[in-house]
Amino acid sequence: MKIEVKNLKKKFNKNLVLNNISLTIHKNKSTIILGKSGCGKSVLIKTIYKLFTYDSGSILYDGKYEVNIDKFSMLFQYGALFDSLKISENIAFTDYINNKMNFDKKVFSLMNDVGLDKSAFSKYPSEISGGMKKRAALARALYKNPKVIFLDEPTTGLDPINSDKINELIIKVIRKRKITAVSITHDIKSAIKTGDKYYFIHNGVIEDEGDCKKILKSKNKVFKTFVTGGKY
Amino acid sequence: MKSIEIIGEFFIKFFSNLGKFTLFILFFFKYLFRPKFYTRNNFSYFVFIFISSIPIIALTGIFSGMVLALQSYTGFSRFSAESAIPNIVVLTLTRELGPVLTGLMISARVGSSIAAEIATMRVTEQIDALKTLNTNYYNYLVTPRVLSLTFALPIFVTLVDFIGVMGGYIVSVHRLGFNDNLYLINTIDFLSLTDYLSGIFKAITFGFIISIVSCFCGLFSDKGAFGVGSATTNAVVISSVLILSSNYFLTELFF
Repeated sequence: MKIEVKNLKKKFNKNLVLNNISLTIHKNKSTIILGKSGCGKSVLIKTIYKLFTYDSGSILYDGKYEVNIDKFSMLFQYGALFDSLKISENIAFTDYINNKMNFDKKVFSLMNDVGLDKSAFSKYPSEISGGMKKRAALARALYKNPKVIFLDEPTTGLDPINSDKINELIIKVIRKRKITAVSITHDIKSAIKTGDKYYFIHNGVIEDEGDCKKILKSKNKVFKTFVTGGKY
Repeated sequence: MKSIEIIGEFFIKFFSNLGKFTLFILFFFKYLFRPKFYTRNNFSYFVFIFISSIPIIALTGIFSGMVLALQSYTGFSRFSAESAIPNIVVLTLTRELGPVLTGLMISARVGSSIAAEIATMRVTEQIDALKTLNTNYYNYLVTPRVLSLTFALPIFVTLVDFIGVMGGYIVSVHRLGFNDNLYLINTIDFLSLTDYLSGIFKAITFGFIISIVSCFCGLFSDKGAFGVGSATTNAVVISSVLILSSNYFLTELFF
């Protein structure tokens, strides 16, 4: 699915979070949204997902304003697994709450795809590690076979080794299932590894954009400062 | 000038929240009559409320009945009207203390837990996750809690009434020297169905108030630990104030 965002504006009270954002998310490609904390990255993807409304501008999904969000999925920053449900029930959430009980096979297959140990099947989110939670949340996001997956800082809170594993897993899953991916990250290494195109948001506007493989060659001063970690 | 701004902001916030709350109730009824029942969720919540509340309900009932018997004796013995104690105990419990004390205890026990749970879900993006999983949070979170508590509170009040009367009986018979048969006969003879039903009607109203206020405070909480804390406090305070104030109007209704 191709998504086109045009001149998007979003305010929270008097605070203008997104100011004239325009970007294109290409079908079956991995788009990376970069930017410092609080710059509006999560608001942007939640607005595209229709979790938030926007004040002006437009979002076109394959050229149309309307979209069935059943085709979308999201991996939240900290997993957002339901604490009161087991991992298997979290992964197969929609089937579980509708009393469809024959989801075990599909859940095991997804757990295998995301590299989640079978022992996690009957455990609760509080009983597994951060890396396993991310994998479980990814399995839940993939359960409904989405066409577009939104990944909100998928490697946050993970050590470098687990971050690498999650990145590789994301690449594998996106390619295998031919999914359009939109990821938010602070991590340049992850962006280069998992992305095709990047957009850099600064103070609510798109400050820079380009090919992820050429991220380190960007001539934009603000973006360079973001990459190297200095003062703006 | 600054003080006018503060007062203005307070009123704007108050009426904005009142508007949000009214809309929230309207949406609750909209989805209640276009229901998608998650039976597992409804049943498990009802069981949770029951198991977690029974001990405090029993304690509330027994001690209220016992204290009521003792205090009534102190007053009525001054003009030799001790025989009215069974009537006073049962009437006060069924019409007034049963529903009000149960409502207050349940708002502290269950209302706070509802608000804290939902606010935590909001802070940890679980509410957003529900939306991404095509699950309406009114159907999944609000309806089970409101229905469970609205149906559970009359049962709790009946228990408090019964246990409270037994508490009054124990103190009156074993401490104040009442005749046990006479105490029970006086209690049963004096109690009318209207007395009991007025308490039950109050219980239904209080159950609805506690659950809807707690769900609202949880769902519209601010972010972070402070947000969860204030959602919990607000849920208990607002529920308690609404219970006490609506109690007057309900009493007028059955006066």
